[in-house]
Amino acid sequence: MFELFFKYPASVFSKGTFVFAGGWPVWLLVLAIAAAAVALAFFVRTNTRAAARIKGARSVAVWLLQTLLAAVLLLMLWHPALSVATLRPQQNIVAVVVDDSSSMAVDDAGSGSRKNAAVNLLKGGLVKQLQDKFQVRLYKLSDHLDRLEAYDKGGLDKLTAAGTATHIGDSLKQVLADAASLPIGAVVLLSDGADNSGGIDLETISEVRRQRIPVHTIGFGREKMAHDVELTGVETPARALPDSRLSATVAFHQHGYAGQKANILIKDGGKVLASREVTFKADGVEQTENILYNAGPAGVRAIDVSIDPRPGEENPRNNKIAKLVNVDQRTARVLYMEGEPRWEFKFLRRAVEDDKSIHLATILRTTQNKIYVQDDHADAPKSIKDGFPTRVEDLFEFDGLILGSVDAPYFTTTQQQMIKDFVDRRGGGLLFLGGRDALGDGGYKQSVLNDVLPVKLPDHKNTFVRDPANVELTAQGRDSLITRIEEDPQKNVERWKTLPYLMNFQDAGQPKPGAVVLADALPTSVGRLPLLTIENYGRGRTAVFATAGSWRWQMLQPVADRSHEIFYSQLLRWLVNDTPKRMTLSTPKQMLNDEASVKLRAEVRDKAYLPAADATVEAHIVGDGVTETVSMRPDALDAGVYTAEWMIPKAGSYVVEATAHRGTEDLGRDVMTFRRDDGVAENFHVEQNRELLEKLSQETGGKYYKPEDANKLGKDINYSEAGITVRETRDLWDMPVVFLLLLLLRSGEWLLRRKWGVI
Amino acid sequence: MRRMTRQFVFALAAIFVACGALWAQKQFKLPRPFREYPGYEYNDFPVPDDFQEKHEWTRARLRYPSFRNVHGYFADGYNRWTVDYPRSDRHLLEGVRRLTRIDTKSVEQVVDLDGDDDVYNWPFMYAVEVGYWNLPDDQIAQLREYLLRGGFFMCDDFHGTIEWENFTRVMQKVFPDRPIVDLDNKDPIFHVIYDLDRRFQVPGMQYVVYPPHRLYEYDGFVARWEGIYDDKGRVMVAICHNMDLGDAWENSDDPRYPEKFASLAYRIAMNYFVYDLTH
Repeated sequence: MFELFFKYPASVFSKGTFVFAGGWPVWLLVLAIAAAAVALAFFVRTNTRAAARIKGARSVAVWLLQTLLAAVLLLMLWHPALSVATLRPQQNIVAVVVDDSSSMAVDDAGSGSRKNAAVNLLKGGLVKQLQDKFQVRLYKLSDHLDRLEAYDKGGLDKLTAAGTATHIGDSLKQVLADAASLPIGAVVLLSDGADNSGGIDLETISEVRRQRIPVHTIGFGREKMAHDVELTGVETPARALPDSRLSATVAFHQHGYAGQKANILIKDGGKVLASREVTFKADGVEQTENILYNAGPAGVRAIDVSIDPRPGEENPRNNKIAKLVNVDQRTARVLYMEGEPRWEFKFLRRAVEDDKSIHLATILRTTQNKIYVQDDHADAPKSIKDGFPTRVEDLFEFDGLILGSVDAPYFTTTQQQMIKDFVDRRGGGLLFLGGRDALGDGGYKQSVLNDVLPVKLPDHKNTFVRDPANVELTAQGRDSLITRIEEDPQKNVERWKTLPYLMNFQDAGQPKPGAVVLADALPTSVGRLPLLTIENYGRGRTAVFATAGSWRWQMLQPVADRSHEIFYSQLLRWLVNDTPKRMTLSTPKQMLNDEASVKLRAEVRDKAYLPAADATVEAHIVGDGVTETVSMRPDALDAGVYTAEWMIPKAGSYVVEATAHRGTEDLGRDVMTFRRDDGVAENFHVEQNRELLEKLSQETGGKYYKPEDANKLGKDINYSEAGITVRETRDLWDMPVVFLLLLLLRSGEWLLRRKWGVI
Repeated sequence: MRRMTRQFVFALAAIFVACGALWAQKQFKLPRPFREYPGYEYNDFPVPDDFQEKHEWTRARLRYPSFRNVHGYFADGYNRWTVDYPRSDRHLLEGVRRLTRIDTKSVEQVVDLDGDDDVYNWPFMYAVEVGYWNLPDDQIAQLREYLLRGGFFMCDDFHGTIEWENFTRVMQKVFPDRPIVDLDNKDPIFHVIYDLDRRFQVPGMQYVVYPPHRLYEYDGFVARWEGIYDDKGRVMVAICHNMDLGDAWENSDDPRYPEKFASLAYRIAMNYFVYDLTH
């Protein structure tokens, strides 16, 4: 239709440049139009004076129509045209790239696979159409690009739809590499767009645009499955302490099973760690569920998160995602400084004594001038023998810190700054408890530690009140692992309501922006106060538990009840779980599905946890029959950070041990595991990713086609800036739309005059 | 008539308030308020002005049923739990304020093992003259539950073989499987504040008042520092046999009572209190 009125395809207009081929200056055109307008104004005015019925707005309308008519005519005299680059026939190459990944084997409509549809389209005339004007090079695409034999030699018959992954971006880069030595004028990509390398990066798009090669895409496959459940992601901590309760955030969507129930299972090998029944929402709606499971003993845990396949499901292979969790064999060290002997001190110590992953060292002011230190850890440093550490490296030996009813002035200014740095720079966790010498009543508002508190302390004193208070979880508290005493979320909410009341509470003020209140205190004397507030600060975390009266949860409940132990254990684990060591090794992905390389990142700090920018860092990688040492390079932008990328030779599990040295000084080591699985990625996102294909075409100057519209490609593909081109000038004066416009203007004036009764 | 109506309204309001308070106490299981009982020795000891002030801690005194006679001759065994009470308690709590950073009330809290939850609000419990105690099974069960939840029990002022046997008869019902053992000198309970390696027998007031000024009572010649440990190796029952710390606290303001005994009694108490709060 467009061509009927405008003579050329739309792509000519989008790629062409508007020019005047007549050679006369444009200013003369403007002048001529202006002159015509004036002349017509005079003509309309003198000619209509006699006609009483054409005056005022009517005369202006007539003048306007006549001026427009004159302007169009004058415009045509200047010979308007489009200057557009076109590929020279038979001198350019068109790269036809066919997706050969296993998702192309999906039979959407029951009439054959996507691959067959693509081959049929090509054999059905598209290749011939292209060969009329260009040389055609055939490629197949999966996790890499391979060239196929020529069409005439049966190149298309080599497609198997068995590739284990789809890396469109990487494949385009290889086409671009060919284009450096070949006159590739355009790329035609036949794919379902089910890329599983995380999309096409900007660098690739920029390179395609720089070379001005339009990528035309033809999309195959249904954009929505009729009957399918797909896990779209699982988020769970990559590292954990032994026997930690972990949360897996499972994201999924489905088509065709709305309202039905299914089980989400978390398994470690054959052992079910957790399960949750869910009800599917409407088709296509993304759902997320949090499921708790136990990390178990130390070691590498390969967990499978899955949803039971549904009856009639088209692709049950996308119902399962594997994750690795490194359960570290380590004991986090927490220092608890308490200013007075009190019940909370006793019962907090008892609450975590069975937690083998937490070692609690305590310093208690028993009298005005005596302290009592309890630290029976085998590696207990002597640094707290005489009281709270006075050296940074002594304090930074700990992963977490608890400040009880000890007033801020008890610490020197240096110690206060050390505590702040402990959170900010060391990345430790800091917990403030309530008490008569804690928080606002302990002078923390006037100290440097006010910055790290997750609450805005009140201005007044006497905030610690020895009145009973019940506890209620907030909305965030219901989802938090810290406050999860019962596995079932609803039972957990009810459990908190039935806990014995707190013996006391403290008005800690309101949460700062970014802080999260997990539980409120509901005293009988005032309304509602934040009780448990947490936030991230710098590299670490801070929390306020504004009471010293949770010990009643232990004493006022039967011996078998573990509420108090579970709560404090989870709170302290949250406090220390993400506290980094001096050297921390990480990777963006521990499970690499059909990915051939792993990116390693090591962060190295010295004893004072300042970035160690001059370290020698090596990663020793051990896998099935593979042993290799990789030097890690310092990151130019991030001091103390070292990176490396290692090509994974084959699927399997690998252990990396990174070591850091500075001269003879050992700066630390860390161990991490990753796994490469092949043939997994193609099970996911098997619907046609039209959005990706359209965006790719749009960004590169190409066009997206449905298979049934692909016959238009033959015309559109001519216009390209890449390859060997010739610039052509296409006349516009003879477009049908111009004549139509002239006719409309003239007939419009005639119709108006008829209406006014002038003619 | 009008006056009668007013009185009726006041009475009704008083009943309403009392019922409300009772309901709140039951509903929230609030600790019972302070109450003073008639004592074995004192009935008019002054209550401190600040007795109603709320503080973190106080030492509870167990009110237990006792035998009238355990020595084979007439003795007033009833209300044995009130021996030295409340003078001993008040003196001791003043000492806690002076010698430690424990935020204590000025008055003791009398508790019962009566099946109610109130006793669990007071995790440190003291009993005197336990050679006379006669706990029924339900109280024995509650004492066991109290200790296993994390409570601490200290007993004192019982002497000789007969009282020991009566005490252990009950204690073995509380913990049939846990032995009563000598507390080692190295145990932290003797070092948490003061190093108390050199302890000696602390006599009762008989040492001062009655000839022949003996340190011991009955056949309790040697002071015994005993205890029962929990599964984690912590003392949860501290037994002071053949000594009378209660008298030492009680008479610490009496110039006739030797300072060295009072001083040791206080130091033992401070260590036991802080030990409990740290273990």
